[in-house]
Amino acid sequence: MTVSQPGERLCNLEEGSPGSGTYTRHGYIFSSLAGCLTKSSENGALPVVSVMRETESQLLPDVGAIVTCKVSSINSRFAKVHILYVGSTPLKNSFRGTIRKEDVRATEKDKVEIYKSFRPGDIVLAKVISLGDAQSNYLLTTAENELGVVVAHSESGVQMVPISWCEMQCPKTHTKEFRKVARVQPEFLQT
Amino acid sequence: MAGLELLSDQGYRVDGRRAGELRKIQARMGVFAQADGSAYIEQGNTKALAVVYGPHEIRGSRARALPDRALVNCQYSSATFSTGERKRRPHGDRKSCEMGLQLRQTFEAAILTQLHPRSQIDIYVQVLQADGGTYAACVNAATLAVMDAGIPMRDFVCACSAGFVDGTALADLSHVEEAAGGPQLALALLPASGQIALLEMDARLHEDHLEQVLEAAARAARDVHTLLDRVVRQHVHEASILLGD
Repeated sequence: MTVSQPGERLCNLEEGSPGSGTYTRHGYIFSSLAGCLTKSSENGALPVVSVMRETESQLLPDVGAIVTCKVSSINSRFAKVHILYVGSTPLKNSFRGTIRKEDVRATEKDKVEIYKSFRPGDIVLAKVISLGDAQSNYLLTTAENELGVVVAHSESGVQMVPISWCEMQCPKTHTKEFRKVARVQPEFLQT
Repeated sequence: MAGLELLSDQGYRVDGRRAGELRKIQARMGVFAQADGSAYIEQGNTKALAVVYGPHEIRGSRARALPDRALVNCQYSSATFSTGERKRRPHGDRKSCEMGLQLRQTFEAAILTQLHPRSQIDIYVQVLQADGGTYAACVNAATLAVMDAGIPMRDFVCACSAGFVDGTALADLSHVEEAAGGPQLALALLPASGQIALLEMDARLHEDHLEQVLEAAARAARDVHTLLDRVVRQHVHEASILLGD
């Protein structure tokens, strides 16, 4: 278990390919973190040289990543969310994101009503489409079957059960509410 | 201070050191659990504490966000009890703002900011006891804290101050030597590549002597690197033992 430090020259670019925690300069691979050096040997390809720390440092949402967020406020044009998880790693500080009206569904984008797709307090699975520009936050989309609301509470406060891709039902009062529901893969459902 | 010899005939300084000798350095990483990264360093009698938060979303005005890089925000503060006479304003005065700016320049050169676009990294440095070389101690403490936070860096940043007395370059000045009024130079170096992150001097020095003073500061910074290297290795080793790797 070798310890490596930032600035330490690890190897040549011909002997390995750079992984996480490293950077390349002048044809050599240098370490950029203080941690344990690992070389994963692939069959055929060059071994991937990476430096691991025991605690994973803050992960930032990247374009194309699936994130779990909580809706904080809605508007007729967009919904504002707090991004809580990136993939399956929780974030220490939440980031702010926006889901625009035209990014809620893939079909009939102009007929979407945000009030019938999300409500404040819903937990939503979304994908990052843009890091945003100077004024805006992360832009997210739910325009896929697997994305959308996963957990929602009805007006009586009970967690609702999904019935279709656009409706959820409260088990206590049996009222149906409109949401853009995510089709969660069967292996992720806990019974 | 008439009669106080900064460099005696036998080559000893006021505190008994040789011209190129550093003061005793002790450092610890991971001092606070609540911050992302923290470190404490003692260089002789100068004690500095550094705390790092980040990378996180930009606080305050989002207009300051850089689309391709992280924003590095440094604040320097020296405690009211850090100097001989009690200081009135711990931070917000001109010297602290200038130090904060210099620390920011230094760390923007060393941290790989391209890996975290549109985010902010905060580095807060607090000087608990100032006995000369405060900039150098702050940079060394902040380097260890950034490494403790797991923020990718190009290399260590090691800093040291240097002065010039009686034709000899002195390394790692103490408060007595700084107050004597001679030229002082502060150098922050990236040891592996030998690149200079920051070089600062606001006194008059003849250009013939610059080479010598710079060389003394660079050599001292490399010695600091050897010490910090050992501290980091030990810390990583201890952390991995605790996790049972």
